[in-house]
Amino acid sequence: MKKPLLLTAAIAMASSAATAETLRIPHELGYGGSESIDPISPQRFYEAIQNVYSRLVRQGEDGRPSADLALEWSATPDAKEWTFKLRPGVTFHNGNAFTAEDVAFSLMRTQSETIDSPTKGVMEVIDHVEVVDELTAKVVLKQTHADFPLLVMDYRIKMLDAETCNGDLDALCESGIGTGPFQLVDYDPLGTTTLKRFGNYYGGTVGTENMELIAIADQDARVAALQAGQIDFIYALSAEQVPLFEGNPNFTVQSVPTGRWVGLVMNTQTEPFNDPRVRKAIRMSADRDALGKLVYGKDGYITSCDHPVWSGDQYRTEIDCARDIEGAKALLAEAGYAEGLTVELFVSDISEGAVKMAEVLQNQAKDAGIKIELVPAPSDGYWGDVWMKEAFFATGWSQRPADQILNEAYRSTAAWNETAWNSGDFDAKLDAARAELDFDKRKALYGELQKELWETGGSFIPVHLNTVRAFSSKLSGIEAVEDFSIRYEDVVKAGSGS
Amino acid sequence: MPSLILRRFGFAAFTIGFVSIVMFAAVEALPGNVCTSFLQRFAQGPRLERCIEQQGLDRSALARYGDWVAGAAQGDFGYSLKKRKPINELIWERFRNTALLGGLAALLAIPFAIFLGIAAGVRRDRPLDLSLSGAAMLAMTVPEFVTATALIYVFAISLQWFPAVTIVSPGAGFLQMLPNIVLPVIVLSAVLIAHIMRMMRASVIDVMASDYVQMARLKGVPERQIIWKHVVPNAMIPALNVIALTIAWLLAGVVVVEKVFNYPGLGTLMIQAIYDRDLPMVQAIALIFSVIYVGVNLLADLTALALDPRLRRKGH
Repeated sequence: MKKPLLLTAAIAMASSAATAETLRIPHELGYGGSESIDPISPQRFYEAIQNVYSRLVRQGEDGRPSADLALEWSATPDAKEWTFKLRPGVTFHNGNAFTAEDVAFSLMRTQSETIDSPTKGVMEVIDHVEVVDELTAKVVLKQTHADFPLLVMDYRIKMLDAETCNGDLDALCESGIGTGPFQLVDYDPLGTTTLKRFGNYYGGTVGTENMELIAIADQDARVAALQAGQIDFIYALSAEQVPLFEGNPNFTVQSVPTGRWVGLVMNTQTEPFNDPRVRKAIRMSADRDALGKLVYGKDGYITSCDHPVWSGDQYRTEIDCARDIEGAKALLAEAGYAEGLTVELFVSDISEGAVKMAEVLQNQAKDAGIKIELVPAPSDGYWGDVWMKEAFFATGWSQRPADQILNEAYRSTAAWNETAWNSGDFDAKLDAARAELDFDKRKALYGELQKELWETGGSFIPVHLNTVRAFSSKLSGIEAVEDFSIRYEDVVKAGSGS
Repeated sequence: MPSLILRRFGFAAFTIGFVSIVMFAAVEALPGNVCTSFLQRFAQGPRLERCIEQQGLDRSALARYGDWVAGAAQGDFGYSLKKRKPINELIWERFRNTALLGGLAALLAIPFAIFLGIAAGVRRDRPLDLSLSGAAMLAMTVPEFVTATALIYVFAISLQWFPAVTIVSPGAGFLQMLPNIVLPVIVLSAVLIAHIMRMMRASVIDVMASDYVQMARLKGVPERQIIWKHVVPNAMIPALNVIALTIAWLLAGVVVVEKVFNYPGLGTLMIQAIYDRDLPMVQAIALIFSVIYVGVNLLADLTALALDPRLRRKGH
């Protein structure tokens, strides 16, 4: 008796859930339900924030900043004062007008000690913001920064309504009122958060009526949910999950490059890695393309030459770093290791593919007479006990723009300078690039820094990782851009007929 | 008799105490501590010092163990750094969901299994027994994650009758949970039924061969009456222990099944806590599981005491 009842209930549920015009995106519950809708909160609910708020500038197709809430911007010759002209006629979801006051409020609150936002360190470069008129904001910096628009292009620097947030710079603002394509209807980070189309969106008509952000913490469960039609989209498929969707006409699989990387780090101050020839020899012994295929699958990577600037970054420089066993042997001989070299490499399962990468390099380096002994380290306590403590170890970084990653990982004074890179010349060039207002000259400077890392640096960064996503074939308008740049307002969902 | 019951309770309390020591020691033995595992790469300088101070990690392990046990005894498991909430708040809801899943599975499976066991035992070696026993062997040998995946493939992906994974808000009512728990309950019940049925069958066969059943038969008592009056009650006693053990097994099965169906219970919370290296949370859930395990076994002991006077004599 019980079963038919259950079945009808289930069928009723399933068919009512399959409404067209509702875009159902999984929410990965990265903070386990303590997510905040405040974009600068350490526990930001990114999937909601992305659609509810907008930025001053967004990433254009060439990786350079393009207009969003700000239509144009200019700097004084010393790149210390930046003037942003705002888009007229923009309103927040509550009907308030978007003005320069809101810009000042949204930028200054990133520096709050109480909020302790992850954006604080970067945004501290701002001294103050002047409201010139309703639609003009002037940002005055403490120091020169020629790429300041890149900083406000960060996915967390969204524009909030100063009035709704009571102008309080030191409190999280969880009203969820923004200028974005969708407005918040029901906020439930542990269950389903519901958004609906914002009629007055400045970017034109939004593609779908509703959007649901459905909390599913587990990737395998997300895969099953997409297969069963409970959601329309998933991020970050692993190489093993791709075949589940590839070749199935009900799904589209998309592989896009990102700035994430997993690498192996040599401490440039410790024997034998304090000799740049040894470091280069190890790097030259690697066949990056073969390594990428083995570790991340054939569509899973884009090769890099041991610098952290990814392929979608406007400052990326292409270098030729083909495998050169003879060259590596010659360098080793010069450095006094003609008989070969044995080193220990500490690895742990801390980032996707880190252990596999070490194993592949171990095999490839053998040909150059370099014997790499792998030392497995527990992933518990890895960042405290192994990382930056041993001489040769694995690491992993998320995507950052060129200026940020080069400063965070290679400036001699940086807290996370994992290669112990200590070059006054490198630091000076970093400063020079920040001060250079001419784009081509700036790009040339960043290019020199990347080449220097390939020639003498301590990082082995064979590839940048792609991210592979799958979505229902009913969806159209998802561009092959990295996750932070997907424009959900442009996505259209074909009716399912129910 | 009261002293016997007290002694059982004493043993149970001792076991739980011992388990808590082992769990605390295991976490202590891990490299790093709660703060380094939470902060990862940020575990340096003032941030680390602040965390260590807040968590009271500068005190001795013994003092911290004392605090933890005292807190846990009052139902306060401490604070989850990862989720930024007291652990209590997070656990209660999940506990309710797991209890719903496990309870429903046990409620459906146990009577059904006992009935099947009797049917198979009475019709020993006949086609019904052979097919039931064969099915039970299959259900016991196929791991539950395989059964679960197969059910998802057929009923969620191909037929789309049930959801593949559970998507509900916390605090969802029973009716909302219902379509989501059908498949998990089937998976859990299958294994429960298989184990209990086989034990019941063996037990029934034993009793059927006993002298008093022979006697009853010779006296001309109708077969139906023999089965329900003499065989079943006596066959139940050995089956009770197996039922207790399988309910304890449910705890492990629930973790696997919850994970496959993304069911918001204690099992998924535990797996997540392990991924997140949220050590206080892992400790709390492990302790809850061990309390349930010990509790179920205690209950079985006490029921057996009530049913079988022989066990109440001294020396047992």
